[in-house]
Amino acid sequence: MNAALAIFQREMRLAWSGGGGPAGPAAFNLAALALFPLALGPSPDTLAAAGPGVIAFAMLLSVLQPAERLFGEDAFDGTLEGYALSGASLTLICLMKTLAFACAVFWPAPLLAFAGGVAYGMSVEAALVLALGLMLAAPGLALIAGFAAALAAGVKRAGLLIALIAAPLQVPLLVFASGAGRAMIDAPHLVLANLTLTAAASLAALALTPFAIAAALRARLE
Amino acid sequence: MWSYFANPERFDRLARAVIPWCWGSAALLFVIGLPWALVVSPPDYQQSDTVRIMYVHVPAAWLAMFAYAGLGASSFVYFIWRHNLADVAARAIAPAGAVFAFLCLATGAIWGKPMWGAWWVWDARLTSMLVLFLLYLGYMALRAAIEDERLAARAGAILAMAGLINLPIIKFSVDWWNTLHQPASVIRFDGPTIHASKLWPLSVMAIAFTVLFTAIVLTGMRTLILTRRADALERAEERRQETEARSAEPNAVFNPEAAS
Repeated sequence: MNAALAIFQREMRLAWSGGGGPAGPAAFNLAALALFPLALGPSPDTLAAAGPGVIAFAMLLSVLQPAERLFGEDAFDGTLEGYALSGASLTLICLMKTLAFACAVFWPAPLLAFAGGVAYGMSVEAALVLALGLMLAAPGLALIAGFAAALAAGVKRAGLLIALIAAPLQVPLLVFASGAGRAMIDAPHLVLANLTLTAAASLAALALTPFAIAAALRARLE
Repeated sequence: MWSYFANPERFDRLARAVIPWCWGSAALLFVIGLPWALVVSPPDYQQSDTVRIMYVHVPAAWLAMFAYAGLGASSFVYFIWRHNLADVAARAIAPAGAVFAFLCLATGAIWGKPMWGAWWVWDARLTSMLVLFLLYLGYMALRAAIEDERLAARAGAILAMAGLINLPIIKFSVDWWNTLHQPASVIRFDGPTIHASKLWPLSVMAIAFTVLFTAIVLTGMRTLILTRRADALERAEERRQETEARSAEPNAVFNPEAAS
């Protein structure tokens, strides 16, 4: 358990020091949010209706963007071998590593989603529900991106490959999280169902992906 | 049981015997099925002749899903028992499955234009098939990107299994996504049950496609195995020639005077 905590702290510190913490993905997220209206046109009705989907999609892109960092270097600098020799469970290490990464990097995303939702002309309630949905989706999105990153670790230009692998697997989270926001706009009785399904998909990812990530990394060790 | 078929020698003998029969019977079934489906079978009372697209579309859809199940199953066998042959099967299945998924999407679009008035509709079925197609693309891209063959096989197997587990969730989520905004959609297939005059040619076509798929996969597997063996032989031959050249003039490599 100590090892797990130590890894969590190490990853938090690494994310803040080396990669600038949440700044990069948040700025990317913001840029995407700022450019969508320019592409969609300024009509408030269109923007409010498209808001939940566009905002959820911008977050998904911002989750994929930094994933390459997660395991890319470990595969080469001996860290991975160190983890394997440490005696701690590789599954637990992968879980802590990915979660720490998610905590350090993606916490502004729900805030951005709320601000973006209001700016797109959604009601405050709808923006709040959307932000809540994305908060629930964040661990799942990060874990799936981490899984793709573990598979693609060490590949040249892994970013593109990660996006191609992770995107289809992230479909359920995208559907349910943005669905929560959309439901608040025109079918309020479905809000709770969407939020619970988002949480369920995230929990399923939490239960399964650490094993898959560990298996992908172990394949690299042999 | 796996180990019995995992012997490449045994597989090769079996495949060599089975492959011509597969191609032959696929050709025979298409010779029967295609004219039956495309000419003889009665046109639909609503869709008239466009219904004939279904005879290609439905088997393609069925095989795209069946192939992914096969991909997941052989990946599982490879991951657990490390039989190389299972990995070869996965490698041969993936492009075939992707092609059938694409065929399903393309024929669906061709059918959709006259029937729904649009090439593409964001219907739940279409979208899940599109996601399945993307899963195939991701699998093939991952395998192509990793140079180390064994690592590519392991990573591919893990991804295929993850995709297989996720597929029902994706299917459910896409159904959910579609029903949120379009309850009681026009696009329903559960109308009148299919009539025997259409069911028979459809069955023949489905069997023909399945046999064709088996033939493609078995031929692909044999090609992969033979390519691998040819590469190994070539490398061994190169090594042999190198050592022969070295033993002929033992001092050629390590003689600084000769080099200067």
